[in-house]
Amino acid sequence: MSTSLEMKKIQKWYGALHVVRDFDLYVKPGEFLTFLGPSGSGKTTALKMIAGFESPSGGDMLLGSRSIVDVPPYERGIGMVFQNYALFPHMTVAENVAFPLTVRKIGRAETEEKVLRALQLVKMTEYRDRYPNQLSGGQQQRIALARAVVFNPSILLMDEPLGALDRNLREHMKIEIMRIQDELNMTVVFVTHDQDEALTMSDRVAVINEGRLIQVADSRSLYYSPQDRFVASFVGESNLLPCRVDRIENGAGKVTIGAATSGVARLSGQLGGEAGWLFVRPEHVDIGPLGVIPNTENVLNGVVKDALFLGEMTRYAVRCDDETITVKQQNRGQAQLAGGTPVTVSWDAANCIVLN
Amino acid sequence: MKMLLARPWLRDVVIAGPLVLLLVGFLVIPLSFILWGSVEGTKLNFAHYARTLTNETNLKILLYTLRIGLIVTLVSLVAAYPVAYLLTKIRPRALSIVTIFILIPLFTAFLIRTYAWIIILGREGIINNTLLRLGIVSEPLPLLNTTFAVVIGMTHVFIPMAIFTMYSSMVRIDHDFARAAQILGAKPVQAFLRVYFPMSLPGVLSAGVLIFIIAIGFYITPALLGGPSDTMISQLIVMQMTTLLNFELSYASSIVLLLVTIGTLFLASLFIPLEMIWSPSIADLSNRPPSARTRALKGAKQVFDPVLVVFEMLVHAITKPLLTRKSRWLWVYTIAVLVFLTAPLIVIVVLSFSSSPFVVFPPPGFSLQWWEKLANATDWQASFLFSTKLGLTSALLATIIGTMGAFWLVRTTLPIKRALFLFSLSPLMVPVVIIATSLYVFEARIHVLGSFIGLVIGHVLLSVPYVIVVMSAALRGFDPSLERAAAVHGARPIQVLRLVTLPILKPALITAGLLAFLTSFDELLVSIFLLGRQTSTLPMKFWGDIKFQVNPLLSTASTFIVALVIVSILTVQWIRVRHEKRTSASANN
Repeated sequence: MSTSLEMKKIQKWYGALHVVRDFDLYVKPGEFLTFLGPSGSGKTTALKMIAGFESPSGGDMLLGSRSIVDVPPYERGIGMVFQNYALFPHMTVAENVAFPLTVRKIGRAETEEKVLRALQLVKMTEYRDRYPNQLSGGQQQRIALARAVVFNPSILLMDEPLGALDRNLREHMKIEIMRIQDELNMTVVFVTHDQDEALTMSDRVAVINEGRLIQVADSRSLYYSPQDRFVASFVGESNLLPCRVDRIENGAGKVTIGAATSGVARLSGQLGGEAGWLFVRPEHVDIGPLGVIPNTENVLNGVVKDALFLGEMTRYAVRCDDETITVKQQNRGQAQLAGGTPVTVSWDAANCIVLN
Repeated sequence: MKMLLARPWLRDVVIAGPLVLLLVGFLVIPLSFILWGSVEGTKLNFAHYARTLTNETNLKILLYTLRIGLIVTLVSLVAAYPVAYLLTKIRPRALSIVTIFILIPLFTAFLIRTYAWIIILGREGIINNTLLRLGIVSEPLPLLNTTFAVVIGMTHVFIPMAIFTMYSSMVRIDHDFARAAQILGAKPVQAFLRVYFPMSLPGVLSAGVLIFIIAIGFYITPALLGGPSDTMISQLIVMQMTTLLNFELSYASSIVLLLVTIGTLFLASLFIPLEMIWSPSIADLSNRPPSARTRALKGAKQVFDPVLVVFEMLVHAITKPLLTRKSRWLWVYTIAVLVFLTAPLIVIVVLSFSSSPFVVFPPPGFSLQWWEKLANATDWQASFLFSTKLGLTSALLATIIGTMGAFWLVRTTLPIKRALFLFSLSPLMVPVVIIATSLYVFEARIHVLGSFIGLVIGHVLLSVPYVIVVMSAALRGFDPSLERAAAVHGARPIQVLRLVTLPILKPALITAGLLAFLTSFDELLVSIFLLGRQTSTLPMKFWGDIKFQVNPLLSTASTFIVALVIVSILTVQWIRVRHEKRTSASANN
């Protein structure tokens, strides 16, 4: 079963602090949506309001077609995986998973069957009689997930569930969570500050900063076409160079980058004469020895400041006048450029956008 | 239920109501009666205060009380510090064994321990008999009914308390600090004196304050072990009220004692957060900015620095050969302290199997005659049953009221949270004799004096703070996301409480209940005043018999009680360990 979730102009004030501002969001049934933002951005508060632990100071929230603003958490029918899992330490794995059914007074046989199915889903059937403290972090995580889905909740909330796991386990659990979501076709709202998690797992990502939804989009558009400087710098690595739009030609902008270099970039609504920031991803910048003129619209000359060899690629910091441009170059056996080498960096107009 | 949820303030009233009612109704109001009575109400007659403070006998008693309080506090702290220090260093298994040896004396009634000292210090007591037999003295030394006996008896009472209070704050000091100091070139003595010791001072101070305020209100020990010149202020208050029937004067003395206590607490509050005294695990010292006083202290330290350096060199030279990795000397000392703490109990146990009709140690032979006598002593049985009934009733009420109160105190968002917490501990701050006398006067007025309920109120009042200390520590360590997880997965508030919160708090609840029960079971002063014509409680029966005659039957009764206490402590400890093993947060694989 999957249900839609809609937030309409949701606000949250803590005293004079406006932690959640004007959240307008529609999560489709079966969609995996991630709240991505730095700590203190309001993403967890937003999740708490969906769960019912906090009530919004304004706005409305619909689960399916029913407003849940005045519904207590225990009547919302939501499943949730907590950051620290919040498994009940005095109950066995089976008792933990059965909890949502127990408090709903579901019959023995049905409970038994559903618990078994949930444990099968997370591949933990043989652990049913253990206590949570006898399980590893990853196993606890699975049990928390089983508990959250055992009663076919209308929607599943996950509050930074991978934060406490080590790197390898995290990669593994990402895939597991995606598999389970797919299998149950469940609506998921996932909270994280980790952009990798957000980009890999989500159908759409809602980037949140200072209590505002900055951009809600699928991973690709978020990465390649950020609408905002914050999104550009928070999601992935990026170069942001001060620039000025001189005039508009064929929908693209003729721009001046830095002091004098001219180039061409996509625009995001700017008019001629406006100043902005030119955004380009480090992996979209080509680098070569000075003098080889590449056939692209944007070309800058500079000097290699640092060269970090990272195995699969090399990361250069190139000094061009007052700006430093980061370049990531895949290593395919080409010559490495040492620090101090004069170079030319360049990129296509299609790969760069002017942001406000 | 719905109505409760809709109005948070109503829920607060229901949860906090009983506690507030108890504290205001049976502590604040009775105390104001005493205050009002001490100045004869609207007459505002301060003559009784003048008499308390100028009458030579009264003033002498007051000063003697303060002197004994100070001596006992210092002796207990000095004696307990090395033990507490060792406890922070030893392994869990050794720790639990040593802990049991300290817990048992701690929870043995003051009366029983005092009785043991009468046997040991008496004219024909163990010490005098031994000395005479060895020919060291030709006639018995006057040990009993002296200030010396009072100090020994009280120190014996306070050392376990000092150890636990200091230990619980010292255990949080990382020994790596001292290690870091040593690797940076400090000699062991310097590392201790300059790094560890200053960090442990708040714990020492809180133990000191705790002991001092209890010591100056002490009644049993000075009354039984001291001589006529060893009267302390509690005895004076009781005498003024029950023998001289001079109520106003006893009120004035009570207020003076109360003021001394409050003054002590106020002074202490300048240096440490007061809640640290009763619940060291709660207070957080780390984020307090350095105050003017600590800066002044620092200045003083700099002045004394050269002296300190010389002292350190000296101590270092002396202690160098004694310092071993296994801290053998600390162990020797600790075992000596443990022997001091448990020896009186052993004497009592041995005496209970005496074949002699008198208190002779060592007993001439083994017999069960006193156990048979105890089994047939209907008055002892009646007292035992009555005390048990009283203890269970009080413990149940105190646990319910205190737990609800602790929920409120921990979870309320009121800005005066801290003050409320301190207020809820106030029955521990007010000397017991004042609680007893003020309740006596107040309950007489509301016509519950001498009734079972009147007695229960007194005992609940005394034990509720212990419940609050235990339960609020447990609640503060309680992970709030567990309750949220239960709620979001469909548990109604009552289900959350029944299925999640209370089961997880079970060990704390049992500990709180046991503390409340023991508080009531060992209580003497409040019972003396509030009992009326009911059956004597066990401690009162004891009290009456000790004053009347010292015979081995008392040892047998004591042994029985001590055995019960040990069994209940071990049971609770066992439940705790089992529960914690299962529910400890860390995954150990």
